Amino acid sequence: MATENASWQLEEFVDSLVVELDKTRETLAVKAINKPLSYTVKDLALDLNIFPSYDGDQIKFITAQPGQQGASKVTIQLGSITDQQVRATTKTPGAKNDIKLDAIDLDKVTKKKLRKLGVSSVDDLRQIEQKNVDLQQISDDAVDYQKLAKQIQKARRGEKPPKVDTVALSVDQDDRPYLLIRGRNLAIHPEFDPVAVVNQTLAEVMSRSDTEVKIQLTEAHQLIDKNEVILTLDPFAVMKVNVKI
Amino acid sequence: MIDEAFMPFAKIIERMLTLEGPLVDDEAGVRLYVSACEIESPVELDVVREEDGSLRIGSTPPLYYVDTSIRPSFHRLSFTATLVRDSDGD
Repeated sequence: MATENASWQLEEFVDSLVVELDKTRETLAVKAINKPLSYTVKDLALDLNIFPSYDGDQIKFITAQPGQQGASKVTIQLGSITDQQVRATTKTPGAKNDIKLDAIDLDKVTKKKLRKLGVSSVDDLRQIEQKNVDLQQISDDAVDYQKLAKQIQKARRGEKPPKVDTVALSVDQDDRPYLLIRGRNLAIHPEFDPVAVVNQTLAEVMSRSDTEVKIQLTEAHQLIDKNEVILTLDPFAVMKVNVKI
Repeated sequence: MIDEAFMPFAKIIERMLTLEGPLVDDEAGVRLYVSACEIESPVELDVVREEDGSLRIGSTPPLYYVDTSIRPSFHRLSFTATLVRDSDGD
């Protein structure tokens, strides 16, 4: 007798079934190389005896086992589908830099609410925004849009962390010293002004770009052999650099 | 792990689809082949969750054919297998 069946959600059961069916098709395709007659599987259906359960959040099913009476019946039908139908019923794959909701640090309630609304990635959210839909309203205020936008920015920043290649001491046209930080993904958000602190004293950021940041130095910064530079590039990227002179 | 009495779902379909052919009778001058086949069968299922969280479906045709005090739960599998024809129609 088999071990106790695991409970499942319809989506994951169908996913597993499709994976198995794909394996069958692959095997049959290999067989077709040497066999004069080969067959392909179409229109598979599975009538399942199941017991549904609801935990207040999700409906799960468990397949009936020997000796269990009174099960409900679910029929899963996997029909053949043409490439035209696939195009008509499948969402266009997300862009390369699309971020899945799972990768964003969101509370469970928001994630669940978004999933119920069919939102699974940042790209989905963008499309909803373009159609001028008020997510906050249709989710009964469960989705805090401002908070969500910040978390998305944070996740995006996490995928493009700042990287420092070189730090150099230099002087400008007026002979005033400045620190030149070169790297990648530095000040990538034009709406944020970076803030620099050198040796625990605020310093002026002269210019910034995604590859270069110039920090004005004055006597107040009291440069010594080892200097600590803390640079806040945006709300989600703070870095500390130790500069030896 | 799926119970050893069961096999992955893909295998059960493959094994049901062992159609050989064509059938040839030289004397009668007849040559037959199966162009499509509909299979419907009761199956037992073993649905397990692997350590990585994925769901695996194990299946087997009925294991016993005798009436027992504990009756197995027979689910029903049905599918159609059709002949794959070459692009030239052979």
